[in-house]
Amino acid sequence: MERLGTGIGWRPEIAAEIAELPGVDWVEVVAENVCPSHLPDALQELRERGTTVVPHGVSLGLGGADRPDAGRLAALAERAEALGAPLVTEHIAFVRAGGPLTASPRMEAGHLLPVPRTRDALDVLCENVRIAQEALPVPLALENIAALINWPGEELTEGQFLTELVERTGVRLLIDVANLHTNHVNRGEDPVVALDGLPLDALAYVHVAGGVERDGVWHDSHAHPVTRPVLDVLAELCARTAPPGVLLERDEDFPGIGELAGELDAIRTVLKEARHVRAA
Amino acid sequence: MSARREPAAGTAADAPDRPDARNQPGGVSRPDSRTPPDAAPDAGAGTDAARERLALAQTALLSALVAGTPAPEGFDRVRLRVQSRALIAKRADVVAKVAPELPEILGAGYRPAFVDYARHRPMSGGYRRDALDFAAHLLARSRPQDPAARQQLTRWWRERAGPRPLSSRPLARLARAVRRVLGRG
Repeated sequence: MERLGTGIGWRPEIAAEIAELPGVDWVEVVAENVCPSHLPDALQELRERGTTVVPHGVSLGLGGADRPDAGRLAALAERAEALGAPLVTEHIAFVRAGGPLTASPRMEAGHLLPVPRTRDALDVLCENVRIAQEALPVPLALENIAALINWPGEELTEGQFLTELVERTGVRLLIDVANLHTNHVNRGEDPVVALDGLPLDALAYVHVAGGVERDGVWHDSHAHPVTRPVLDVLAELCARTAPPGVLLERDEDFPGIGELAGELDAIRTVLKEARHVRAA
Repeated sequence: MSARREPAAGTAADAPDRPDARNQPGGVSRPDSRTPPDAAPDAGAGTDAARERLALAQTALLSALVAGTPAPEGFDRVRLRVQSRALIAKRADVVAKVAPELPEILGAGYRPAFVDYARHRPMSGGYRRDALDFAAHLLARSRPQDPAARQQLTRWWRERAGPRPLSSRPLARLARAVRRVLGRG
């Protein structure tokens, strides 16, 4: 797996800070927010300095019941080419429903919603992933999402679901440790158990983000500082494998450069300590 | 949760379904979706029956979350309400970003009015279309009550959706979209 290093989610609001931050090996951009023929100057400058840029899609809905849309896939492929990206990433989620399969109006969720961990959903997801892989010029990695709700009647654990997905499609994984924490608080799924079941050989990189707990519900806001429990899940992951890359995500209520640098340092510290533990 | 990461509805081509792309030779679907994967690889096996079952389940859930239909069996209703509110709040945030004039015109009334509009109205296109639909929804109900604000909102909506927009094609498309919405009453 290609080594990416430590990175941060590139957002226009913090473009100046990212250009100044020391030790940013790579960035991720939300694929739908960049136009391949008009890349922002700040992003172009990072590329010229040798910073890797990875497009991260949010609208394919590969976990949905429909086959992925050819136009959306072509748009993602075009962004991967324009950015010279070594891989592209998306989510294990559904984002729309309705339409011809149910003879009902099409609805957009405007958000990533969880796929039921059933045989049906896995079969559909595997075929959708293969369709996407054929349309994309570089490897695809998929992210586990944060969920507020549980599907009733699930047939597989997250580990079983992801292991089979990887075996059947060769897709890589983007593991969001904040989402593992979210699923711990909101669905009672122990991140240590989840990590033990994950096919970490397929790990492409890791997401780290902040959130907030309100009334016993974890909101994966990307608008709050990264908390200790999320870094602890990162440490648990790093005790099992050396991740090829780790990326900090911040999407709202952007802090100053000092706080961003501090969060990146906290991530690097976890990586360094885990290296010592693994070497011991 | 964040405005930067939501699926960008309607920003990519919404290609019509392509029946020719369906991998279902002779219209035969795999009768047992639980067949082990090594015995029946996906390619050629046909996922159409699984797709239909998944579509029904996902549509029932999303419809409960964004269209106010009853909660499907087995879900935690409290959690569904939390998710539903989170979806509307996020939608309101994104609409406020793509159409910042709306919260300016509506002031403190923006959020409650948007929640009232969105509660039973799923988003079917992009956020710009949603912003226009929201404005049209308010104007059709003679809101906001303040005449000056209503006039401002009318002007905002007309500039973007008027009957004779400045010839550019995206505007013409928006106008058609709004006429469709108004046509639905």
